[in-house]
Amino acid sequence: MTWKTKSTATPDATTILRGLVSKKRVPLGSEIYNRILETLYDEAAALDERRIDDWIAMIAQDIIYQAPIRLTRTGPNRDRDVMRTMFHFDENYDSLMMRSGRLQKSAWAEDPPSRCRRFVTNVRIGECETPGEYEVVSYLFLERSRGDSPDNERTTAERRDIWRDVDGEYKLARREIIVDQSVLGMSNFAVFL
Amino acid sequence: MLQKSKLVLRDGTSLDDLIMRDSNEVSLRVMTDEELYKLEMEKIFAKTWLLLGHESEIPEIGDFIVRDMAEDNVIVARGPDGDVHVSLNVCPHRGMRVCLGEAGNKRVHQCIYHGWAFRPNGDFIGAPVEREKMHGNDVDKKTLGLKKARVHLYGGLIFATWDVDGPSFDEFLGDSKYYMDQLFCRTDSGLELLGPPQRFVLPCNWKVPGEQSGSDGFHTLTLHRSLMEGGVMGGTAESIYDQAPGMYGVDISCKQGHSLRCLEAEKTFKMFADVPFEGKSTRERLELLTPPGITKEMIPELFKNLSEDQVNQLATIPPQVGGLFPNVLIAFIFAPRTDGGSSGALTLHTYMPKGPDRVEFTNYIFAEKDAPEQMKRDMLQNSIWNTGTSGVIEQDDADVWPVIMKNARGAVSKGVTLKYKALHGHERPEGWVGEGLLYPGFTKDDTQWNWWLAYYDLMDAV
Repeated sequence: MTWKTKSTATPDATTILRGLVSKKRVPLGSEIYNRILETLYDEAAALDERRIDDWIAMIAQDIIYQAPIRLTRTGPNRDRDVMRTMFHFDENYDSLMMRSGRLQKSAWAEDPPSRCRRFVTNVRIGECETPGEYEVVSYLFLERSRGDSPDNERTTAERRDIWRDVDGEYKLARREIIVDQSVLGMSNFAVFL
Repeated sequence: MLQKSKLVLRDGTSLDDLIMRDSNEVSLRVMTDEELYKLEMEKIFAKTWLLLGHESEIPEIGDFIVRDMAEDNVIVARGPDGDVHVSLNVCPHRGMRVCLGEAGNKRVHQCIYHGWAFRPNGDFIGAPVEREKMHGNDVDKKTLGLKKARVHLYGGLIFATWDVDGPSFDEFLGDSKYYMDQLFCRTDSGLELLGPPQRFVLPCNWKVPGEQSGSDGFHTLTLHRSLMEGGVMGGTAESIYDQAPGMYGVDISCKQGHSLRCLEAEKTFKMFADVPFEGKSTRERLELLTPPGITKEMIPELFKNLSEDQVNQLATIPPQVGGLFPNVLIAFIFAPRTDGGSSGALTLHTYMPKGPDRVEFTNYIFAEKDAPEQMKRDMLQNSIWNTGTSGVIEQDDADVWPVIMKNARGAVSKGVTLKYKALHGHERPEGWVGEGLLYPGFTKDDTQWNWWLAYYDLMDAV
C-alpha cells in the first residue's frame, strides 16, 4: 500500500481502480470457488444477524480493511478516481475490535440496530502468489432499514479481498471496499461492508 | 428593551417569534421552514465567509477543486499568478457547469455545452468560431467571466465570500482570532490536508449540526457515552455524570458566533497518565504534553509564530473543539491510541445546506505539514476512527440529527422550543490574557446561544 498523493488535484498511479489482478483464476463451480463463495455468504449472514463475534472470528489478525473515497474526474485522469489517501474506513485488527466492542455498549448509531441485508454477487476468484491465499472480488449491495423510516438507506460497492486458508477455514486478510458514491447517501458507516 | 426585527415571514411570524431573545429559546420550526431557508441562503450563505478547502490541495498552477458554497457550486483554482481564485461554476452562456470533475489541473476550463472557455481566475477567453462572435456582437469580453468570489487564505485554509465589500476576514474572526491562530497559524510550514474530504449527506437542516458546532460540550457525556465506557476520556461508565470528564474548562466565543472550548491539558493528560503541571514552565509543559498534531521538534516553531501568551495557553489550556459561524466544526483533539501510535486528530467539518431538509457533511482531515510520515498516517486513522463517515464519535451525531429533523415537521412538535437557559454569563478568569466572551467552569449554553445571536444578526440585517 502506497500512501503518498497529497494534492487533491494531481492523481497518481495509485488512484486507478484495478480489478482482479491475479492471472491464475479459480474457476466458477470449482471446489475452492464454492467454499469461498459459501464463506462470503456466511460472512454476510453473520453481519446481517449482528453476530459480530462470529464475524471477528473470520478475520485474520493482520487484516487491512479500507474504504478509499471516490472522486469524480474528467479527461485523461477520468479513471483515476480511487483516492487511496483518504478513507471512509482505515482499519486494522485492533480498530475493528474497538468498533465491534463499542457495538456491545452505548453505540446509539446502532441502538436500536439497523436491519441490514447484504447481497453479495459477481464473485471472481484468483490464486495469490502466496499459497493458500485467494484474491476475491465481489459486488456488495447493502440495504439498511433504520427506525420507522420506510425508505431504506443503501449503498453499492466492489470489495477486493484476500481470503487465507487457515487450517481449512478461510480468514479475511485484506479488504478494500470501493464505494460507488463520491458523496455517500448513507448517514454513517456504523455497519461493516 | 430589545428592538424588534423587521424580518417577518409571509404568515406573519417574525424573527423574534422564532429566535426568542428575551427567553433564550428557539422555535423548532426554524429547522423546516422553506421561506426561512431561502432567506438564510441570501442573508448568510451568499454573504459571509465560507470554508472551501486548503491550499495544499491545489499546489500547482492550474490545479483546481470544485466545492460548494451552500447550493452554489464553485471552482477553486490556482491561477498563473500563483493566487487562489474562487469563481461560480455556472457558465454565463446557458447556465451549464463549466467544470464537471471534482479536481484536476487545467489552464483553460471549457464548457462542454457550447464551448465557452474561461481561465482559472474565471476570466472569459472566448467562444468557438471566433469570427462569428458567438459571445455577442457588441459585448465586451471582460463582462462575460464567471462570477468571482472574494478569497482569503488563513493558515492555508481557503475562505470565500460573495460579499465583495463586506467585513474583512479578520473582522469576521473578531476576538476569536487570538485563539484560532493557536490552531491554524502556529508552525512554519502550516497544515496539510491529508486527502480529499470525506463527503456524505444527512437528511436534516444545516442548523441541526450548525448549532451543535457552537461548542456544545454537554452532549458528549450522554450521546458519546461510549467514549467514557471505552476509557478514552478517563473515568468509568458508572462515574460519567459524577466525574463529568472534559466538561470543565473555559469556553470562549464572540459576537460573530465563533467559539472554542479550551480544556486544561493537565486534566486531559490525567486521563491517561498522572503528570502534574504545577510549577512547570510553558516549555516543560509542551514537552510533557505536546498539543495535538505537534511534535517535540516543532515546539520552537510555536514560540516563533505565536506570542508567548498564546503558546502558554496552548501548553496549559488549549482550544480543542469549537466552530466558526455559520457551518464549520473544529476538532483538534488529543485522541490517544493504545498501540503506541501517534495521538491527535485534526479535523474540520463543513455543514453545507442542500435544501431545507438536507445537509452535506464534509470532513477535512489535517496534519502538520512537517510532521513525520508515520505520524500523519496515524493521525489520519485517528480522525477516521473518531470523526466523519465511520467515526465512532460522529456516527452517533449523524443518527440523532435526522431524528430531530423528523420531529420538527409535526404541526405540534414544530412549536416546541430549543432551550438555551443554562447560562453562565461572561466572566474573565484570573490571569486570562485573550479577549472575547469568556465562560469558565462547566460548559453551558452560552456559546451556542451566541451562535443563535449571530444568526439573528445576519438574518435581521437589511
